[in-house]
Amino acid sequence: MASLTINDLHKSFGSVEVLKGINLHIEDGGFLVLVGPSGCGKSTLLNIIAGLEEITSGEIQIGDNSVAGLHPSKRNIAMVFQSYALYPNMTVSQNIGFGMEMKGVEKSVRATSINKVAETLQISELLDRKPGQLSGGQRQRVAMGRAIVREPEVFLFDEPLSNLDAKLRIDMRTEIKRLHQRLDSTIIYVTHDQVEAMTLATKIAVLKDGCIQQFDTPYEIYNNPNNMFVANFMGAPAMNLIEGKIVKSKNSFEFEMKDNKGNVVSLPTSGIKSLKNYVDKIVILGIRPESINDLDLGSKKDSVVRKVIIDVVEPAGSDTFAVVELGEKQIISRLNGNSRVSAGEEVDLTFDLSQAVFFDIQSEERIR
Amino acid sequence: MNPMTIKNNKHNAIKLSRIIMYVVLILFAFYYLLPLYVMLVNSLKPLDEIRGGGMLYLPSLWTLEPWKSAWSTAQIGVDPSGLKPYFWNSISMVVPAVFLSTLLGSLNGYVLTKWQFRGHGIVFGLLLLSCFIPFQIVLIPMARVLGIFGLAGTTSGLVLVHLVYGLGFTTLFFRNYYAAFPTEIIKAAQIDGAGFFRIFWRVLLPSSGPIIVVTIIWQFTNIWNDFLFGASFADFDSIPMTVALNNLVNSSTGVKEYNVHFAGAILAALPTLVVYIVSGRYFVRGLMAGAVKG
Amino acid sequence: MKNYLQLWVPKIVLAPSFALILVFVYGFIIYTGYLSLTDSRMLPTHEFMGWGNYSKLFGLRHWKIAVNNLAIFGILYIVICTAIGLLLAIFLDQKIRAEGLLRPIFLYPMALSFIVTGTAWKWFLDPGIGLESIMHEWGWESFEFDWIKNRSFAIYTVVMAAVWQSSGFVMAMFLAGLRGIDGEIMKAAQIDGASGFRIYKRIIIPMLRPAFLSAFVILAHLAIKAYDLVIALTNGGPGRSTELPATFMYSYTFERNQMGLGATSAIIMLIMIFSIIIPYLYSELRSENQS
Repeated sequence: MASLTINDLHKSFGSVEVLKGINLHIEDGGFLVLVGPSGCGKSTLLNIIAGLEEITSGEIQIGDNSVAGLHPSKRNIAMVFQSYALYPNMTVSQNIGFGMEMKGVEKSVRATSINKVAETLQISELLDRKPGQLSGGQRQRVAMGRAIVREPEVFLFDEPLSNLDAKLRIDMRTEIKRLHQRLDSTIIYVTHDQVEAMTLATKIAVLKDGCIQQFDTPYEIYNNPNNMFVANFMGAPAMNLIEGKIVKSKNSFEFEMKDNKGNVVSLPTSGIKSLKNYVDKIVILGIRPESINDLDLGSKKDSVVRKVIIDVVEPAGSDTFAVVELGEKQIISRLNGNSRVSAGEEVDLTFDLSQAVFFDIQSEERIR
Repeated sequence: MNPMTIKNNKHNAIKLSRIIMYVVLILFAFYYLLPLYVMLVNSLKPLDEIRGGGMLYLPSLWTLEPWKSAWSTAQIGVDPSGLKPYFWNSISMVVPAVFLSTLLGSLNGYVLTKWQFRGHGIVFGLLLLSCFIPFQIVLIPMARVLGIFGLAGTTSGLVLVHLVYGLGFTTLFFRNYYAAFPTEIIKAAQIDGAGFFRIFWRVLLPSSGPIIVVTIIWQFTNIWNDFLFGASFADFDSIPMTVALNNLVNSSTGVKEYNVHFAGAILAALPTLVVYIVSGRYFVRGLMAGAVKG
Repeated sequence: MKNYLQLWVPKIVLAPSFALILVFVYGFIIYTGYLSLTDSRMLPTHEFMGWGNYSKLFGLRHWKIAVNNLAIFGILYIVICTAIGLLLAIFLDQKIRAEGLLRPIFLYPMALSFIVTGTAWKWFLDPGIGLESIMHEWGWESFEFDWIKNRSFAIYTVVMAAVWQSSGFVMAMFLAGLRGIDGEIMKAAQIDGASGFRIYKRIIIPMLRPAFLSAFVILAHLAIKAYDLVIALTNGGPGRSTELPATFMYSYTFERNQMGLGATSAIIMLIMIFSIIIPYLYSELRSENQS
């Protein structure tokens, strides 16, 4: 296993610059997830790491070696594709062994490796079948087997779970996590699904338009987003983003919103120093649905109770999500699963502002 | 009118229109089969029976003489050799031409879809356009070039001609087929260390069965049925079946042996007909692929 | 280093075919074009005569007959093939029981050489032993069908044989087009109260536009190239009444030793075909790139 380092990587297709100065490092054994909306460049970046695309400028190192210009088969990587990309005319066994065949490995040695991998992935009975005879989940495992048998330094996954149905996706996600733990492998994983990113990664890189918006641990990305894009992209349901004005009050600042009757609703801020530069200016408050709920927290620091009108109730089993009106804005709150609110009701909800974040309305950057 | 009557009338109207449809379809079936029937039936009659009229009637005297004559003794050109030697001329022309044009077409399609380079669109466009040229436009220069290379009047010359003018179609077929082949599989093979030819040989070609069949059928039919190139570039040793048939039928000397002509025509048509009957589905697929481009 | 090899190998593999096409297709076109500007007779000469051949060509009676015939033949061929093809396709699409049998019967003529077709129809149309004589035998003495020997009507016999050969193919194209239409559209139309005929006229046939276009392009291109069929059926005759540009080119070049004029006629044929094909291919490739 090895680390991966990327320095100031640029990639252009003709005159269009797709990757604009990427800097990343993932340590040996880490699980790096590249996440972002379509067109952000994550798949291109993965292809570049694999060697399937050329760099326009910049450096890539796998372990201690620079790999720029090296053929994919010489980089000690393995890749699992979104569509599995199994060779349709070969058996599972031949699919897994193809890379070794190309290297000239002897048949008996190949067979041993193939059998070992097949056992690990529990696909030993499928070895003589062809891809067309397998289910989606089985094909996924064969694709992983083909990658594992190469004993690479870095595993690359390109949206491997996108083609699976919801339940299978969760099962396979666990498989991949298990694989990571068992093989202690370095993994680079591309997805547009932020839930996958959060559950699998040791480090996440959020990409947008070819730039890294934030490169951090899942915890930091979730709780300390650098800008509005990251805040909004990660977390489901998304973080509520509310416009309002900062006003001075007693020892600190308050966040004021208007409602449609002209009344002012205010929320305390929790000691964010730079807010002093924004007095009487408009900022964006970011507060996650789980921070707005019907729990009774007594007088927990930074919590206040406000009245809201329930608009839509969405029971989700363990939780109930309610779209509520606060002031002029509609925001999503996460209530207890047993909650009995109904649309049109006016209720008291607790706002826990200890995790709230603020953003500059122009630059969309975080106010710290 | 009560609802039942309305329903019945509608029912009857539908039934009537279906009957009309079947009638029309069957009439057309006769229309298409008639010439073949006429040829077949009259190829089995002795000449006086044909001259006596009754083209549509089954033979009163069945005979295979016209067939024997058409195959081995009819006068075509200078020798009374029948169509046999020309049949073999056609075979020795068609087989290499089909093989080579299919092979090159598959490689071309592979390059144009999986190894694209700057200008590949133009290359494909030019290849595609070459499918549609009127062959008259190349007759004169081709005659000269074949002469220069000593290929005039030879089977090899004809193979070259058919190879070149079939490349456009074979490339088109394979290109469309390979465009639909997932490129991720090619990438996976690259990561596995396979190069250009190994990917083609081990991964792409084994999955190409259907399009290979379509291409071979299309090429075989077109090349076997060609007349213009055969008439322009062939000589005694290389005259293909179609040209020989035309010579047989249009020779103005002597008695017109219609029955022999019919037998000869069916002999000339037999290979492509057999191919068509055996693999009809693929034949249609080929027509579709070539015609409704993309 | 391996990467560089992979960059060149594909181009090297494609090169022979590309070179062959460049020379034997486009090079030859240019050469023939060049010839059309010379006063070549039996052999090519290099006496340049500008557009002389072209003006000569358009003044020739034979050429005018050929072009006129092409117009008559082409229009009738395309229209009748399309009509028959569409009709048969619509009928076959109605869940006919014998479809598996009928379709191959309609299509098999496409597998035949035009020479075979010409031969078969030649005798069928021959007054002495063909349809006319059959009608006479059946008692209809006054039936006349000597079109193939009639200067004014011979061209229509070419149409008949050509339609017989190609209409099945057009049917197959329309059938494929019909089968590609979402069945739910029919259901929606029925709910809207449209009758069978109306559904076809207002909804389905307009949706077949791509098939119409493809059929037109293929048929037009076959019509302009038509040579084998005419040779086998009438050999251009009687006289010159079934002369077409393709037969004109061949006879003037190889039999009448008028290579310059022959080349000129070939160029005109090329222009005719390209003026249909190039816009068609361009729009097809464009829409493919967009989707």
